[in-house]
Amino acid sequence: MDNAATNRADNAIVIDKLTLEYGTQVLFRGFSLTVPAGQKVLLVGSSGSGKSSLVRCLLGFVTPQEGTIAIDGTILDGKTVWSLRRKIGYVSQEPQLGTGKVKDLIQLPFTYHANIHLKYDPSGQARLFEQFRLSAALLDKDISELSGGEKQRVALVISLLLGRSIYLLDEATSALDAEAKTAVLDYFRQRPDLTVLMVSHDTAIAAITDRTVTMPAVTAQEAV
Amino acid sequence: MMNAADAIHPLALTAGYLMLLIPLAIIHWYRVPMLGQTISSVLRMTIQLILVGLYLQVVFRLNNPWLNMAWLLVMITVADLSILKGAQFRFGRLAAWLFAALLVGTAIPLFIFVGVILTRPEILDARYVIPIGGMILGNCLRADIIGIRTFYQSIRTGQKAYELALSQGATIAEAVRPHLRESIYQALTPTVATMANIGIVSLPGMMTGVIIGGNDPLTAIGYQIAIMLSIFTGTAITVFLAILLSARSAFTPYGILKQAIFKS
Repeated sequence: MDNAATNRADNAIVIDKLTLEYGTQVLFRGFSLTVPAGQKVLLVGSSGSGKSSLVRCLLGFVTPQEGTIAIDGTILDGKTVWSLRRKIGYVSQEPQLGTGKVKDLIQLPFTYHANIHLKYDPSGQARLFEQFRLSAALLDKDISELSGGEKQRVALVISLLLGRSIYLLDEATSALDAEAKTAVLDYFRQRPDLTVLMVSHDTAIAAITDRTVTMPAVTAQEAV
Repeated sequence: MMNAADAIHPLALTAGYLMLLIPLAIIHWYRVPMLGQTISSVLRMTIQLILVGLYLQVVFRLNNPWLNMAWLLVMITVADLSILKGAQFRFGRLAAWLFAALLVGTAIPLFIFVGVILTRPEILDARYVIPIGGMILGNCLRADIIGIRTFYQSIRTGQKAYELALSQGATIAEAVRPHLRESIYQALTPTVATMANIGIVSLPGMMTGVIIGGNDPLTAIGYQIAIMLSIFTGTAITVFLAILLSARSAFTPYGILKQAIFKS
């Protein structure tokens, strides 16, 4: 088997010697990380170490100066990014879901051409709402009426309904109370088919992840 | 057949300038810091209008379709440059897309107005095409600045929502839809509001011109309705096309808005 085939079979995310700079500010230099399919990884590091920027690199929102990213064995570039995003579920600390009613915003991504093959599953949505301690009454509310924790869970529900295989959760449980956080973390722990890269300052999350990776200060670094 | 309006003798116009003594006295008395600026603006207006008047007199006398079209293109080019300046963007080659949007947005309602509504056989008749084209273009220019600025600024300020849409599988066209909706709304609202209040608050320019030209008010109303419909159609086409065409060069292959288009 060649390397690409090996990556496709075993590794969901391969970050190779990635360097990201904003002007004179270097966020990370030569950073490498491999996440095998199905693994749950907690990414920690001091503020400003580039954790969120790394996640944004994986989605193609930021273009690194050096290095490569492979998702499911395919190198991320301007052409492949559109199909690779369809493999990724992304939830940030403050998800901006748009404007309107919650039920409409949940169904909105299913109208996108790329998701046309997917069908919105109301029963799946109801199950996830129950599992994540969300009231069904929220569906008829305007998104602006929701709390930060409710928005985070609604964003998680949307990404899960889209059936992605890789999840990038950037402080996605930061606004949840202990019960809701446990419910969300338990869900991902019980899904061995999902690859999860979680960015968090909450080291308690490490209890449910397979390993913890620390974004070190700016020096050549590698975490395989 | 239209009658000519009474000409104003240059000496009689002096009375108009003398009228200025009243606002200038108020400005001077209360030391409002705009005396120099006001005098300079009045001088500029006078010189610019004299030059344009002389030029248009030649254009109207020759009434050459090619010359009329060339003058329209000059007007559109100046409007294009004003949009780039007014919208505070560093567009570079995007100026060509904005020019195309203005050209199409002005040409379609202009030719419907002159060729279909007025049924003029000579569509490029200077007497119609230049003043009517100018009115449509002036409004397209104002709407375009609002539309373009709203569109790109709202993507910039709503970056998180835009990126979330991309991460959920949206194409650029799908992800910008709420921003497109907002910018078209902002750009067209002034014209919609004007149409709702026209005739009550003030008599609009075109209607006034037709009445002074010696026609009865009902004829003037026909012209005014036609120009308002043309302006609204023209602004909608221009704003929509300007966003659609400029967006082709404003995003990276990853679907991210190029920060380089902003001046600040």
